[in-house]
Amino acid sequence: MAGVEKKSGRVLLFPEIKEILKKRSIPAVRGAFVNDLSGALKGAEGIGYPVVLKVVSRDVTHKTDVGGVALDLKSPEDLESAWKGMLAAVRDKAPGADISGFSIEKMVPPGLEVIVGALRDSQFGPVVMFGIGGIAVEIMKDVSFRLAPVTKKEALEMLKEVRLYPLLAGFRGSNPKDIDALSDVVMKFSEIIDEEKELEEIEINPLIVYEKGVVAVDSRAILL
Amino acid sequence: MAGIKSKKVDFFFNPNSIAVVGASPVPGKLSNVIMESLERSGFAGDIYPVNPNHGEVRGRRCYPSIRSIGVCVDVAVFSVPAPVTLPLLKEAGGSLRGAIIVSGGFSETGDGGKELEEKLRQEALSSGIRVIGPNCMGIYDTVSRVDTLFIPQERVRRPKKGRIAMLSQSGSLALTAMDEFYSLGIGISRVVSYGNRMDVNEADCLDFLADDEQTDVIFLYIESIEDGRRFVESASRASKKKTLMAWKVGKQKAGMEAARSHTGAIAGRYEVYRAAFKKAGIIEVSGYEEFLDACKAVSVFPRARGNRVMIITDGGGVGVSIADECAFAGLDAAPLPREKKEALKTIFPPYFTVSNPLDLTGSATDEWFKEALLRTMEGDFYDIAIVAALWGPPKLTDRLAELLSSVAKSLKKPVIICSTGGEYAKAKKPLFENAGLPVFLTPESAVRAACALAERKDWKYGGR
Repeated sequence: MAGVEKKSGRVLLFPEIKEILKKRSIPAVRGAFVNDLSGALKGAEGIGYPVVLKVVSRDVTHKTDVGGVALDLKSPEDLESAWKGMLAAVRDKAPGADISGFSIEKMVPPGLEVIVGALRDSQFGPVVMFGIGGIAVEIMKDVSFRLAPVTKKEALEMLKEVRLYPLLAGFRGSNPKDIDALSDVVMKFSEIIDEEKELEEIEINPLIVYEKGVVAVDSRAILL
Repeated sequence: MAGIKSKKVDFFFNPNSIAVVGASPVPGKLSNVIMESLERSGFAGDIYPVNPNHGEVRGRRCYPSIRSIGVCVDVAVFSVPAPVTLPLLKEAGGSLRGAIIVSGGFSETGDGGKELEEKLRQEALSSGIRVIGPNCMGIYDTVSRVDTLFIPQERVRRPKKGRIAMLSQSGSLALTAMDEFYSLGIGISRVVSYGNRMDVNEADCLDFLADDEQTDVIFLYIESIEDGRRFVESASRASKKKTLMAWKVGKQKAGMEAARSHTGAIAGRYEVYRAAFKKAGIIEVSGYEEFLDACKAVSVFPRARGNRVMIITDGGGVGVSIADECAFAGLDAAPLPREKKEALKTIFPPYFTVSNPLDLTGSATDEWFKEALLRTMEGDFYDIAIVAALWGPPKLTDRLAELLSSVAKSLKKPVIICSTGGEYAKAKKPLFENAGLPVFLTPESAVRAACALAERKDWKYGGR
């Protein structure tokens, strides 16, 4: 966690967490953190269109709710108009929010969205969590937990424990997803929470799982 | 002993002497009941009443203080008001190894009580006296014959000697379980109600029970756990040698609030507990019925090697409903392998459907049940048998129980009896029980018992 400003209870945002993920070889979407429109256009040029524009703010937990995410921007013109629209929308819907800047990211192809999380429990210490899809996690509580760290075998058991596991294994003719890469991320995440003692919570949401490979599209962490 | 904190709590389970602090000659007083419990359980060591206001209690010389007894007492049960516990414990320093403080009025009552408990904890630490409680029932132990319960045996029966140990945060739950065990004929090795666990906690007891030759199964009733990592360490060690089962309550928010006011502890998040149980190799039961069914099953049979269940019945409906329950619970009522099918076809009439469940129909005889059980369970195809014998078929006789029991013994595999029905069926229940086969009255209950015995790889917590 070198280079990251350490302060108790502070929320770490995706650009800062990327460093932690990189250290553990957890693939994250290519992107750049920018402050202004010219930076955004320059960043998008480097990454290559189509891109995604997202607001970066510690005060905003659900970016889409405040108009803070613009997907599939195919050209500089698209990006410029999305930029202007987003500034207005976020100011309107989250008036007090302190905006750190914006991130420009590569638009990734659709895949299966999963959540990998970890937290430090006051009684039992580090714990790792896995779930598939936002609604299944939030409404159905279809998640599996283990005390961290876990082995790759235990990580695989965690995947199999959720009811939506067939979506990973291949359902109604869809090809199986990269379960090996996913269990690797779960295992590494359990090591992150076990070893990075200043973290209270960390989560990749969503992590997109493909037939080959995975990619972290967004992430949040809270320092102790 | 004084000043040296002995790490082990073994002596609580093998004391030579027990003092009752606050002993009263008045029948019905808690301290008097505790003495009566100790006498009636057949404790062979010395019993010392302690109370400066009396010269004699229940025919025994009463001492003004623990120190005045003149020997180092192994265990003292404190049944005195909370505020006087502290000075009495202080005074006992150097003359006492362990205290069981049954009195309430400590951390479970709020800030004042919390402060008092902390002072007590400090005193115990400096004097080296290990403490169970406060706010607890203490110990019921069929091995050392210690019974510190302040509830008379007429109200709550004490179960016979057996190989299940029970650790309970709640005293009343421990008592209720004991009373049920008595009725169900389930044996107990040791019960500890540790209440506020100011000092001795689940982990300490697990460390002892892990090596206890008198115990095969350890059952935990848990509202909350404080030192989670140590608990997982101790439980992991114990589960390598014993079967560990837990019933966690306070899963929902309302439950958690009840837990807080109950023992002064705040229950943690349930998902994390599940993760901890999994890590430690603890089997979880989801409620009271599952708890009793599981205890009944594990008190009779050792754990099975797998999760494959053979269902034998003379009633198609009951058989299928058992198969359904098995599927819900993650048990495998696997179809009969072909070689078994062929072999069975030579024994039974041609109109039989030979499958799992195996329906022996209204023509069933004692011999058919016996043959069906033996032939299906031989070899490595099934781990557990559930036999649902309805008593309608006229050829069935009382011999059935003995026949099934002798096959079960030769198979060395659990055979669970599911006995649905009314008056006639219930009257036959003792036949099986006397033959050493546990009887369950519903398909659900029989399958819960099978779950407790089964080794399940993709095991879902708490049954469904």
